[in-house]
Amino acid sequence: MSIDPTTAPFSWTKLGKVFDPRQISGRPWLREFAQAPAALLLDDVIRVYFSCRPPPDALGQYVSYSAYVDLDRTDPTRVLDVAQNPILTLGGLGTFDEFGTYPVSIIRHDNRIRAYYGGWTRCVSVPFNVAIGCAESTDGGVSFHRLGPGPVIPYSLHEPFVMSGPKIRRFNDLYHLFYIAGTSWKMVEGRPEPVYRIRMATSADGLTWTKLDRNLIDTVVEADEAQASPDVFFADGRYHMFFCYRYSERYRSHARGYRIGYAHSPDLISWTREDARAGLDVSDTGWDSEMVSYPHVFHVDGTTYMAYLGNGVGREGFGLARLATALNWGT
Amino acid sequence: MILRRLGKVFDPADHTLPPGCKEFAQSPQTLHFDAFTRVYFSTRSTDPSGATFRSHMAFADMTPDFATVLRVSAHTVLPLGDLGTFDEHGIFPMNVIREGGQIWGYTCGWNRRRSVSVDTAIGFVVSDDQGETFRRLGPGPILGPSLNEPFLVGDAFVLKAMGGFHMWYMFGQRWVTETAGSAPDRVYKIGHATSLDGLNWAKQDGVQILPDRLGPDECQALPSVIQWSGRYHMVFCYRAVHGFRTDPAKGYRIGYAHSTDLQRWTRDDAALGLTVQAGDWDGEMQCYPHLTVSGGRPFMLYNGNAFGRRGFGAVELSLA
Repeated sequence: MSIDPTTAPFSWTKLGKVFDPRQISGRPWLREFAQAPAALLLDDVIRVYFSCRPPPDALGQYVSYSAYVDLDRTDPTRVLDVAQNPILTLGGLGTFDEFGTYPVSIIRHDNRIRAYYGGWTRCVSVPFNVAIGCAESTDGGVSFHRLGPGPVIPYSLHEPFVMSGPKIRRFNDLYHLFYIAGTSWKMVEGRPEPVYRIRMATSADGLTWTKLDRNLIDTVVEADEAQASPDVFFADGRYHMFFCYRYSERYRSHARGYRIGYAHSPDLISWTREDARAGLDVSDTGWDSEMVSYPHVFHVDGTTYMAYLGNGVGREGFGLARLATALNWGT
Repeated sequence: MILRRLGKVFDPADHTLPPGCKEFAQSPQTLHFDAFTRVYFSTRSTDPSGATFRSHMAFADMTPDFATVLRVSAHTVLPLGDLGTFDEHGIFPMNVIREGGQIWGYTCGWNRRRSVSVDTAIGFVVSDDQGETFRRLGPGPILGPSLNEPFLVGDAFVLKAMGGFHMWYMFGQRWVTETAGSAPDRVYKIGHATSLDGLNWAKQDGVQILPDRLGPDECQALPSVIQWSGRYHMVFCYRAVHGFRTDPAKGYRIGYAHSTDLQRWTRDDAALGLTVQAGDWDGEMQCYPHLTVSGGRPFMLYNGNAFGRRGFGAVELSLA
């Protein structure tokens, strides 16, 4: 009897939490959280970008920065270095990213290292809005500068607010941006909560985007299911997407919090959702026992890993899992 | 080029306005019918707190010479946007055009922010009942911030010319504070976008089309363009960045530019010849101008003191 790789669940071996921001000192901007991990392969190390926060202000409000840790390429559970500074400053007065740069996705192409990131501003009727910005690095991904003070992909008729969670990829000589877009703000116990879905846009230059303008992934747990972290790669002749999803209300709990979902596609447009195959769920105890979220799958020297967040959506850091079986990432 | 000053032609205090609205008739913009000229404007309700306003669209049907008000809309012409949308806290202004049997509206939607007071974006609405009411095609804007126009995209004016749609609009450049601790004031300029269908627009992204007269912090807003006597005429308003609400010397004035190709504009404010006389309804401020050919004659509608709190007026023009 053999296992059919196109229908069997992925088999992940959890390697545990590999980075805990609370154990880092001397960086006041890095007090808690290591959210939305995203890998960039360097010669000796795997540079994993993440987003973090200094302590909240007097009103209990956070700003967020993005930074990185360098992991040992031969043993990614070993942290070799931590960024000395955030990779990007906060935006200027009144700009879309004045209060946060989270999350971030990095791509290297044509001798360029580019970051796409969610920029956060604060609103009055709802707590925040998010738009996607673009920045470049000329020092190997240590620091980035904005390409402009505004966002790089517009709000539009059917993507009215909360455009966030960008994941930049390059397939078939085109940039593909997977992201989330808000569909509504829902009042939950007197407090507005955003509902958002996974979307996609394509671009020849990474700056001018054509939106597909439809939801990629159907909802499962409820109509207002929130979906995030659309992490797409090509292997074994098809496109794979790991993402996370949760209920729209009372989601800061074990039963209704984030779980990791999975879908596959022949063409990046039509997706078949098969969460049962994701293969990575909460643990019985420990750092990822309440929720698992923000999956990022990457391939290093013949091994496929998933970085992901555990309890508190990354407040205590991120962990890794290793795929037990081989995937062919060749194109 | 002022042929005749009509003075104030519409005072909101004389009429019943849409629900909750009492004062303000801002940014008059026309739609022409055979027997009358409809003037859309933004009026205001007061939030429950009493400290903030919301702008709403309304209209007045007037004789084509703007001498007589025939009817004022007392209904909701266009509801404000839903929670968290770009036009949740106000719609001001709206530019309307006739297209394919419908009336299309280009709105400027307002939403409140924490570190600065507001942001805006351009929305698109459609009327199938001759402009009595409008509906959105979606909850989001059709034109908003971009890499080099980071906020405050609004004040669209659309003209079908030279084989396509042209839009002149406002975009924000920066927020600046006059003194430490004072509320931030915004700097904005006028840009140009083009479209084949009126819905999908290509901006120049950060290109200011008119020179500054008051230096780099001059604020330029509300462009309006007509073709007359073989060339294109643009009016707009401009002001100093700080002190414009209370100091008449720093408040809005109306500027003028002309062009033959819609690309290169020659600014010549003095040519308009709209003087300011202390004590008049427009003796402290002149703003939100709109060019229109009504009854075969060119007019400019505009607001006077206090950003149009007491209504709008008109001048008849002699354009060359």
